[in-house]
Amino acid sequence: MAIINQATKELQVKIVYYGPAMGGKTTNLIQVHEHVQTAQGNKGKLVSLATSSDRTLFFDFLPIEAMAIKGFKTKFQLYTVPGQVIYNTTRQLVLRGVDGIVFVADSQYEKMSENVRSIANLEENLGALNMNLADIPYVLQYNKRDLPNIAPVDYLEFTLNNRDVQVPSFTSVASKCEGVFESLNMITRLLLHKFINQGTRAKK
Amino acid sequence: MASLPQLFEEDIRVLDMALEDLLSRSEATVTLLIDKGGFLISKRGSADQIDATTLAALAAGSYAATETIASLVGETNFSSIYQQGDKFSLLVQNVDEYCLLSVVFKASISVGMVKFYATDTTQQIAEQLKSAQDRDPNAGLDLSVMDVADTSLVFRKKPA
Repeated sequence: MAIINQATKELQVKIVYYGPAMGGKTTNLIQVHEHVQTAQGNKGKLVSLATSSDRTLFFDFLPIEAMAIKGFKTKFQLYTVPGQVIYNTTRQLVLRGVDGIVFVADSQYEKMSENVRSIANLEENLGALNMNLADIPYVLQYNKRDLPNIAPVDYLEFTLNNRDVQVPSFTSVASKCEGVFESLNMITRLLLHKFINQGTRAKK
Repeated sequence: MASLPQLFEEDIRVLDMALEDLLSRSEATVTLLIDKGGFLISKRGSADQIDATTLAALAAGSYAATETIASLVGETNFSSIYQQGDKFSLLVQNVDEYCLLSVVFKASISVGMVKFYATDTTQQIAEQLKSAQDRDPNAGLDLSVMDVADTSLVFRKKPA
């Protein structure tokens, strides 16, 4: 859960990029790190705990400070999880204290079952932490739209965005930074609105 | 789920004093208070030389991983990790359900001494956090002063 420090007017939130292996979660962070506009010194170092073959072993971590929010200094911490099925314990550890999720799906037809398994795994892991996907702001990102064998967006929507409440979804080519900032800004919007509504409720 | 009470100036003052006190008593280099989710709550000492934000995230991850390893071998009473280095060592100690205390100290300083003083500090911190929690357990986050009319500009891509 986000940390709010009234003394220093600082808000810290944790966003986790989740999804199947080799789907582009780390690429999202790399692109944000490379392309984001920040005031000097507000962009942290991208830390990657990865194997030699570029697979995330524990997590990638990017601290970043938002520019356009007045009143509070808002610090975002972006994490990715390892996508490989066997690293489930690690995924659970990274999910601790999560505020918002970007689910990065692989748009290719042959990856559809992995996408479905990964989102089921996310629900399971949140359950283990006494959280529920329905209560956590999340967005879907349909990545790798530049590849030939991709499923249409409607099909992906039907397969992955078919719960009681449908969430915003974006198509992306993370390697070219398309759709990356759109997803990040949308999850930020959902998160901040959730916090502000909670604050308003508490005041009544 | 890890969640912290809202921290006010009074809380931060007490937490900072506890960290400062530990720093001077143990002659450590840096003391950090970290949320188990990976957030840095407060830091004291010559923290400018190190990337405290990243240290906090990695220390929380490392603690969580080691805790899980401990439970795999049937150890339930797990409360700290200690990394010994040539120049500096690192101690990460459990504070309560939500927080960790991390101390970076010169390798020449005995870990026993740091642990001894850190035990007092973790108690002080835990008490302060508990009183913050008890003050209003259901307090929401009043962020109404935030101006977020248009979040599409929160993160902007550099022009190509």
